[in-house]
Amino acid sequence: MRSDFVIREVVTGLRRNVTMTVAMVLTTAISLALVGTGLLAVRTIDRTEQLYSDRVEVQVALTADVSTADTDCSQPVCSGLRSTLENSPLVASVRFESQQQAYERYLQLFKGQSLAEVVRPQSLPATLRVRLNDPEAGAQAVREAMVGQVGVRNVIDQRDVVSKLFDFLSGVRNLTFAVAVVQAVAALLLISNTVQVSAFTRRVEVGVMRLVGATRWYTQLPFLIEAVVTGVAGAVIASLGILAGKFLFIDDLLSGIVSNGVIPPVEVGDVLWVSPILLMIGAGVAAVTGYVTLRLYVRL
Amino acid sequence: MIRLERVTKMYKTSTRPALDRVSVDIERGEFVFLIGPSGSGKSTFLRLLLREDVPTKGTITVADLDVAKLPRRRVPRLRQRIGCVFQDFRLLPNKTVGGNVAFALEVIGKPANTVRKIVPEVLELVGLDGKAERMPHELSGGEQQRVAIARAFANRPIVLLADEPTGNLDPDTSQDIMLLLERINRTGTTVLMATHDHSIVDSMRRRVVELSMGKLVRDDVRGVYGVGR
Repeated sequence: MRSDFVIREVVTGLRRNVTMTVAMVLTTAISLALVGTGLLAVRTIDRTEQLYSDRVEVQVALTADVSTADTDCSQPVCSGLRSTLENSPLVASVRFESQQQAYERYLQLFKGQSLAEVVRPQSLPATLRVRLNDPEAGAQAVREAMVGQVGVRNVIDQRDVVSKLFDFLSGVRNLTFAVAVVQAVAALLLISNTVQVSAFTRRVEVGVMRLVGATRWYTQLPFLIEAVVTGVAGAVIASLGILAGKFLFIDDLLSGIVSNGVIPPVEVGDVLWVSPILLMIGAGVAAVTGYVTLRLYVRL
Repeated sequence: MIRLERVTKMYKTSTRPALDRVSVDIERGEFVFLIGPSGSGKSTFLRLLLREDVPTKGTITVADLDVAKLPRRRVPRLRQRIGCVFQDFRLLPNKTVGGNVAFALEVIGKPANTVRKIVPEVLELVGLDGKAERMPHELSGGEQQRVAIARAFANRPIVLLADEPTGNLDPDTSQDIMLLLERINRTGTTVLMATHDHSIVDSMRRRVVELSMGKLVRDDVRGVYGVGR
């Protein structure tokens, strides 16, 4: 195989259809950028889930009378509930938070806001904060064991709150993937079309090649490499775009919730993790599309 | 060298076979004219030899290869043994004369130094030495056909197929092209030329194979174009 010959043919082909090539690279770049964004969303969701599974508790809020009367969970109602929880194998630990402690945390949480002034310690319940060994089964078991017991006001599973965030993140992921799929179809058609046009503009060359006995690889490889080059170029642009997007938009957009520890930040490492995947998808899809097009539409 | 045994070719779109039980045997080093009116099957004959198409029935052997049974991936090997020249030259307009000849060698994987050696040699053989850097449109029709012949001959094929190579040329130029084909024939290359040109066939006095309505109607060792002329 004469590589100099193949390279020369590829360069000629790309230059000859320059507008088509640019369109193909950009469309591929956009669809791959969307796929990349989707992958980053998945990664962030996974890490957020991990972040929360360590932190999330089930709160057993006590009724007002128990909350006021018992400041250290020493009285029978509270300590009874506590030992019931602690005896369960699904429970890792139980921590008591008194009205006063809840009030202090509340003050800290809403520091400088008018909400901080309207609340009195008496209006907040004391809670038993339960860490679980098994968040799935444990939360349900705690709920069943506690709801309706004397001294229990209600049971709050923090995962219910967090799941709204997860729903939002999965929504972002699904939307980007859906747009990516539509965009990918456009990119596929463009690649297929460009390969056809490229083969058509070079039909005399290809005719001569067949006639003098060039092998299939010699006749097809330039077209395939052309497609792969645009796929790779699209992937590189997509990766750079995601990196730029991270610094210009994502960091700003998420800065609040990231610094509060609500979700983990999107790191440069994450983009570096996504790039090779995009590169493989870009090159692979372009090569397969090119090959199939040549097989179906172009007689070589 | 080339052997057809009861070769029939039917096209789906036609009720009459394009070739009808044609048997021909052409020896190595022969010079053969393939004549007949338009639609007589000459082009089909050449296409089958090149494995552009496969016969409906019969066997074709070219240079010891069973053409019809040749697997796809070995078709290039067959075509590397056959050179081809056409009425319309089929040169690459954006490549120089030398580039056109080099292209044919490059695409079959000949190393660069071999290509550099062969191109001037073969251009000299066809009488185009010194014109390697010209573009095809700067040449006369006869010269363009010489480039096409140089390209076809560059890989030293054992068979040269020429499909109406003088069809676009005036009589004098045609005569020059025939001299060139004769010279190539003298190197031992079998030449099979499809033509309508009476004067050329009559003056050369070579073997004539005539087709009519897909049938072989004549095979003269030293023939002329029209019977009895």
